[in-house]
Amino acid sequence: MTAETIMPTEIIRTESLEKIYSENGVPVRALRGIDLVVNKGDFLVIAGPSGSGKTTLLNLIGALDSPTGGAVYFEGENLSRKSEAELSAMRLHKLGFVFQAFNLIPVLTACENIEFTMVLRGVPERQRKQRVLDLMRDLRIDELADKRPLEMSGGQQQRVAVARAIITNPSVVLADEPTANLDSTTGASLLDLMERMNREKNITFIFSSHDQQVIQRGRRLILLRDGKIDRTEEGSR
Amino acid sequence: MLLKIAWRNIWRQRRRSIIVMISVAVGIVATLLTETVSMGMMIQMLENQIGSHVAHLQVHRKGFEANQVVQNYLPDRAKVEQLLRETPEVEHYSERVISFGLISSASSSSGVTIVGIDPQREEKVTTIERSLVAGQYLSSRRNGVVVGKRLAEKLGVRIGDKIVAMATALDGHVGSDVFRIVGLYQSFSSEFDKVYVYIPLTEAQEMLALDADVSEVAVILLNRDRLNQVQEALERGLGSSYEVLTYPEILPLLVLQLDLFQESMLVFYAIIGIALIFGIINTMLMSVFERMTEFGVLKAIGMRNGRLVAMILLEALLLGAIGAAGGFAVGYILYLPLSHSGINLSMFSASLNSFGVGAIIYPVLTVEGVLNALLIIPLIAVLGAIYPALKAARFRPVAAIRYV
Repeated sequence: MTAETIMPTEIIRTESLEKIYSENGVPVRALRGIDLVVNKGDFLVIAGPSGSGKTTLLNLIGALDSPTGGAVYFEGENLSRKSEAELSAMRLHKLGFVFQAFNLIPVLTACENIEFTMVLRGVPERQRKQRVLDLMRDLRIDELADKRPLEMSGGQQQRVAVARAIITNPSVVLADEPTANLDSTTGASLLDLMERMNREKNITFIFSSHDQQVIQRGRRLILLRDGKIDRTEEGSR
Repeated sequence: MLLKIAWRNIWRQRRRSIIVMISVAVGIVATLLTETVSMGMMIQMLENQIGSHVAHLQVHRKGFEANQVVQNYLPDRAKVEQLLRETPEVEHYSERVISFGLISSASSSSGVTIVGIDPQREEKVTTIERSLVAGQYLSSRRNGVVVGKRLAEKLGVRIGDKIVAMATALDGHVGSDVFRIVGLYQSFSSEFDKVYVYIPLTEAQEMLALDADVSEVAVILLNRDRLNQVQEALERGLGSSYEVLTYPEILPLLVLQLDLFQESMLVFYAIIGIALIFGIINTMLMSVFERMTEFGVLKAIGMRNGRLVAMILLEALLLGAIGAAGGFAVGYILYLPLSHSGINLSMFSASLNSFGVGAIIYPVLTVEGVLNALLIIPLIAVLGAIYPALKAARFRPVAAIRYV
């Protein structure tokens, strides 16, 4: 068997995934039966116009919300069958999140924000500090160590957010419009960083974005329209 | 890390947090001063009783406390004296003859308790000698009597006047004698002053046909903390014909009052706490709803609900603790000089006297007082934060992140 014929490992699967919200008493079908497979190491972009269901799909995959119908499987396990505590543990150990609005903890420094998930996992302090410093040096954000989010630019905050998301070597990083609040140069630099993490650490990245920069970088593209998969493209880059 | 986040979070809205802390501190100061003054009054009442007559312990024939008749004199005075001398915790003791009787002057008469004392021993056990406001203390001079100033006023007598004392003697006849007033005393309690009169021990024994016997021995200990141990030792040494009573047993109502007061302070703090808790609930609710997105993110990155709740409760605890500590510090600074100089309430002296309290009250801070001040309010702050914390925990992560 050659390297080209190694079978991809499925890490996420959705089956007939549906989500209905209620807005002012009116039901809104955000997702209408999504069947999706994400493999280990994917650099996947979920794109589509506003209201197509991108963020909703990402939230369901990340167990931040629960589906109205269908199922999400993470490493073969149906997330609907898990308790809140188990989902919380899954998010802590297996997932990383990068948000559009950065969402760093305002009262913590960059260093403290990054090490926070390790604190939640009970990693001893000396080990934490070393790993955080190593990662910050690797991502070239070590000069931000003692700065709080208000003292950083958007790009710097997002780099810290990426560091927070990957410090625990998660299986999957979910990034919701990560470049939306950044200029193109900063956005490009951030994507370079994420691609490097994908290559070097085999972390699966799933983006929700309508930014062309992001779409062009994705090795797989899922295009959503009105809550359904309109088309998929392989090898966008 | 949770403590670090909680500490920094309370200073995000500095003005709001400071207002909460000040309101807690003001409550603590008011409660602390009220408690220390009231405790000072209560303790003064008890100490006055101990110092004026009761002492730390009293030794009697069994049954005397319930029936204070002259027939219930000590079975073996010498045995009691010897045991007391051999007990190292005993600092001083004074033997007394006690009898209910009647004092008459030319113009009036009054029911009294006649106390025959050894003046030198008695002045080491009670404060009667130090309470003299006119004349002198009992001495070797025969037939001297020291009465309360209030009693003297009632009888219309002065220093040097004669009075007749009568009481039922041991053999049943009415013993009587004439005494000359040598001293007037004024104690903590006007009621006490109207009742207790002091004559020399030997003359009381003579009047009541007691020979060398006495009714009781009042004891002062070197260390009051050893009270119960000394009581047990004396009971063992004296046997079942005697009763050895501690001051809590002799003054059960007063001791109960003191205990009830301490319990009532918990209620007082609870009332203050209930008043504060709504402010804390309001503050914590505002703080929680302002940070819903942040809580959603924390849950998204893997923080469990329990830890989130703990973090919010910790913030409330810090607010309460800082306010309590600040209030205690201010209260203590105000309390210290007052505890030395006392608070002059002479305008209320008549009422205070009737309760057995002097005109100058010295506030007293007890260990319970310190613990109440420092622990109850922070605890109430945590209780106040439970609802907001549970509210934050109930939000789904995505709902919290989207919260506006």
